[in-house]
Parts: sequence; structure tokens; C-alpha cells
Amino acid sequence: MTATVTTVVAAPPSRLRLLGRGLRTLFRRAPLSAFWGIVAALIVAMAVAAPVIAPYPPLKSDFRAMQKPPSEAHWFGTDQIGRDTLSRVMYGAQSSLTVALGAVLFGTTVGALWGLACGYFGGRFDMASQRVIEFLQSFPDLILAMAIAMALGGGMATVIVAIAITRIPFGGRVIRSVVLSLKEMQYVEAARGIGASHTRMMLRHILPQCVAPYLILATTHLGVAIIIEASLGFLGVGIPPPTPTWGNMLADSLNSGLVPPWWLVVYPGVAITITVLAFNLLGDGIRDLLDPRLRGSV
Amino acid sequence: MYSYIARRLAFGALTVIGVSIMVFVVMRILPGDPLVAIFGPEGMTKLTAEQRANYMRELGLSDPLWVQYLRWVKDIIRGNFGQSFFRSESVADMILRRGPLTAEIALISVVLSWLVGIPVAIVSALKPNTVADSVARFASILFIAVPGFWVGMLIVLALLFWFGYRAPMAGVGFFTDPLGNLQLVIGPAIVLGLGQAAYIARMGRSSLLEVIREDYVRTARAKGLNGRLVIALHALPNALLPVITLSGVLLGLVLAGSIPVERAFGTPGLGYSMFQAVSERDVFVMQNLVFIYSVVFVMLNILVDLTIAFLDPRIRLR
Repeated sequence: MTATVTTVVAAPPSRLRLLGRGLRTLFRRAPLSAFWGIVAALIVAMAVAAPVIAPYPPLKSDFRAMQKPPSEAHWFGTDQIGRDTLSRVMYGAQSSLTVALGAVLFGTTVGALWGLACGYFGGRFDMASQRVIEFLQSFPDLILAMAIAMALGGGMATVIVAIAITRIPFGGRVIRSVVLSLKEMQYVEAARGIGASHTRMMLRHILPQCVAPYLILATTHLGVAIIIEASLGFLGVGIPPPTPTWGNMLADSLNSGLVPPWWLVVYPGVAITITVLAFNLLGDGIRDLLDPRLRGSV
Repeated sequence: MYSYIARRLAFGALTVIGVSIMVFVVMRILPGDPLVAIFGPEGMTKLTAEQRANYMRELGLSDPLWVQYLRWVKDIIRGNFGQSFFRSESVADMILRRGPLTAEIALISVVLSWLVGIPVAIVSALKPNTVADSVARFASILFIAVPGFWVGMLIVLALLFWFGYRAPMAGVGFFTDPLGNLQLVIGPAIVLGLGQAAYIARMGRSSLLEVIREDYVRTARAKGLNGRLVIALHALPNALLPVITLSGVLLGLVLAGSIPVERAFGTPGLGYSMFQAVSERDVFVMQNLVFIYSVVFVMLNILVDLTIAFLDPRIRLR
């Protein structure tokens, strides 16, 4: 708390400094989350650097090394048509993370703005919106995502939209309740008193207070989004092959006769698990740091 | 209580109508053209305009949308849910034949999740920050992160690898062949059950920790009741209310999760039909199955709400 007071008195620190301070607090207060934050960062780095660090092109078949167990040349082995599993796992991170980030940002943002409008205006608009949100929540996540992905036809954009739609209710609910309590705050009333317009009150006075819950929501839903993406790929409604995604790789492994080779099953699954674990624990840390009251509710 | 039940049921009926409209919108209107979903974007270009019109008329897709919607509602009320585009089986037959297996999996997994989750929660909450608690918390974090279908694949692989065992592929009912039936459902049920148990253990722990600090628990202790009885009679019943609600929400996880998990195990249940419908782009089967799954989800949640209201007068009287 004292830190914030001094910054008010001193010159406003740059954004970079603030980020650095936030990170330092995260390391001090939640070392475990910070560790998993680093793991998450490494996974993101792996995805971005995949073209540089992957030992083979992900789509290149080597017909002399088909379905070979892990070896010096292919650390994670090769699949039925001789593609290098390690490279495919690395490239798979690209699609998984792109979809998860895209879907969560898109879904949570739409949900948050909707929730903002619902909480702020209330009345009939709110009533109708709540019903629609309830209808959306009557579908189990994965089933709704499957239906939408199938209806729109395959592709990365489709998968992002399908998963994003399943995230909308969460953003809508949480932000709406935050806005409902903010609306009663005196500073908002003061703004109304001096004749601020609706847009100004929403954007200048209420929206900034929604940033923390928004960030918490977004990080906690990344893990779910990754699992849904993998499931869609596994069921064949995700990003269509030959693009390597972790879900596609797992689905492919089932097409290799009666006994799938263990390395084709183990490595993509380990990649999914570590990634989801990292994002979930990082999300928990961020939530505890930004708003301990939300523990257990988001 | 009766007015609460009536309200909840009326609300449920409204939700079912809303769900049916939403399913219809997603499956029929979003793509603009179900033929694209059936034949794929490439197959679509190979059809002539005449063929397209023929297919559309045959499938009843050239009628106005509201006529199509009403026809679908009529199908649902009659109970035959339309025909598969690729298989000579109506969706109703599919549900009758394959549904029981999935229902069985769901039921066993829910029971299992309570049998595993609650004891873990009690141990965690009564001895917080001990080794047992840390192990339990780590396990639940891990099980939330692991995709169930992958665990399923690993189990199938390990059984094949070490024991040369594979569950039978043919669907058998519980009453005709209990042992064969158990072999089919036990794998998916364990995977889905442990996935839920992780959430239940986490929620149960925090809920129990909160309740233990309440005055009535302290009073019970103060009047000399033995520690175990305090937990069993006073703390646990109150701590379990939010866990029951959570269990209802987790049913979504079971229903949806059973699709990839059944695919991983090769279980011939309804989830597997859903996978087939999706991979064959069978719009009509998909539309009906999505509707059925959601209606089941909604109804089970109403059941959970009524149970909670029955158990907790504070909700009933509100």
C-alpha cells in the first residue's frame, strides 16, 4: 500500500516499471505461481520460436523413418508417415496458444462489454440478456463448441469463434455483478451529479475498475480453452489436418492400427497437461494478487 | 416449497424452448447452407445447381425456416427425432440403444467422484497445510489440468501393452451380461469420476474450512460433543450444500467429457455417436443430440436445485 502512496507523490512511473514491480510482487508473494508463470512464458516462447528451434519441418515426411520410437535423430519418435513428433509438438503449441488466446480475449471481451451494458442499464435489456446468457449456459461447453465449429465448417477462425462463444457467459456474469456494485459507489454518483454522459461514466469511471476482474477471468479461462481446443481436434472438428495441433496428433495416433505407438500418445498429452497446469496456476497467482476476494468465485 | 418447484419447472420449460431455438439457429442458420456441412466446402463445388436444389427439397430445407423449426418440434414431440443422413437409424433408436451405456457411465462417475472427492476434502480441511493436504491439493490441480480423454488413451494403451487386454467393442446391456457391461463402462467412469473428484475435493475443502469456523460448530464443541461427531453431524451437512450445486454444474463436464472419453476407449455409447455425427458432418443427428444433451443437462440441474431447496430451507423460502 505504501508503495502506491509514494508513486502518487513522485513522478508517475513508466508502464514498464509498473510491470516490473508487479512481477516482483508476484515472485515474492506467490513463488509457485511465478514458477509456473515462467513455464507458461517458456511454452509461449517455444510456440513463437518453433520455426527456428524445431529440428524438422512439421509436415515433412521421412519415408525411411516411419513410426520409429524415440532415438538420437528423432527425440520424440516419428509418426505413421515419418513426421518428427518433437517438431509437431512444438508447432502444435502455436495453434493451441493462438486459438486459446484468441478465443479467451474475444469471448471475455464480448462478454465483459455485454456485462457492462447489462449492469449499467439494467431494466428490460438486462432481463433479456440474462435469459440469453442462461440459454448459452444450458449447453455443456464442449458440446456447444462442437456444434458451432461443425456448423461453421473447419478452420482456425471457426475454432476461435466456437470456443469464444462458450466463454461469453462467464465474462458477462462476472463483469455485470462488478458493475452492479460499482454503480452504487459515491464517485459514480458524483459523476452523474455533475451531468456526465452515459458513455463517459461507463468508459471513464466504471470500465477501469473492471480491468482486474477481466484479467483474472481471461487467465483462468486459458486452460479451459486449451482443453476444449484439444478435444475439438481429437474429435475431428478442430483445425483440420495436416496442421499439427495437439488434439489432431492424438486423434492421428488412433489411426495407426490396433495398438497406437506410445510416443505418439504420450508426448502431445504431456504438452497439453503442462500447458494447462502452467496457465491455471499462473491464473490462480494473478487472481490472488489482484483480488483476493475473488478466491474461489471465478 | 410447491411454489418453488412450480417456478423452477416453468423456468426449465422456458429454458428448453430457448435451447431448442438456439440449437436450430446454430445448426441451420449459421452456415447458411447445411449442404456445406454435409458435403464439405469442396464437395459442395462439385454439385450442380440442380442437384443442390434436389437435395434441399428432399431434406425439406427449401421451406421457410419457421416451417422447418415447427416440423422439428413436431418430430421431437412425437419422439422420433428425425433420421440420420448417413445411417438407416433414427436418432430415437440411437438414443435407446446407446443412451443407457452413457447414462451408466455418468452415474458411476458421479458416485465415484463423491466417494473419492469428499474423504479427500475432509482430510485436507481438517489438517490444512500438512503433507496429506499438499498432496491432495496438488493431485486435484493436476487432475483438473489433465484432459480426460488423454488419460483414457493412456489407460487403454497401458492395459494393451502390459496385459494384452482390450475392452470388448460390442455394446451389451447390464442385465444381459453384467460383467461384459462393466468392462465397457468402468474405464470411462473412472476417468470422468476422477476429473470431477478433483473439483469436488477443492470445493469441499474450502467450504468445510469456512464452516468449521462458524459459531454453531464452536458451540457443538463447547458442549462437549466428540470431534468426529461435530464434523459428521454439524459441519459436513452444511459444507456439502455448495458441493451438491457444484456436482450439478460438473454434470456438464461429464456429459460433454464423455464424448472424447468414449472415443478414446472406443465405448459404443451415445458420446461415440456424437463423435460419429460430428466426423460425418451429420447435421440432423448432431442437431438432435445436442438438443437432447442440453435438455438432460437442464433437467438434471433442476433436480439438483430442487434437492438443494429440499435440504436448505433458506433457499426454499426465498
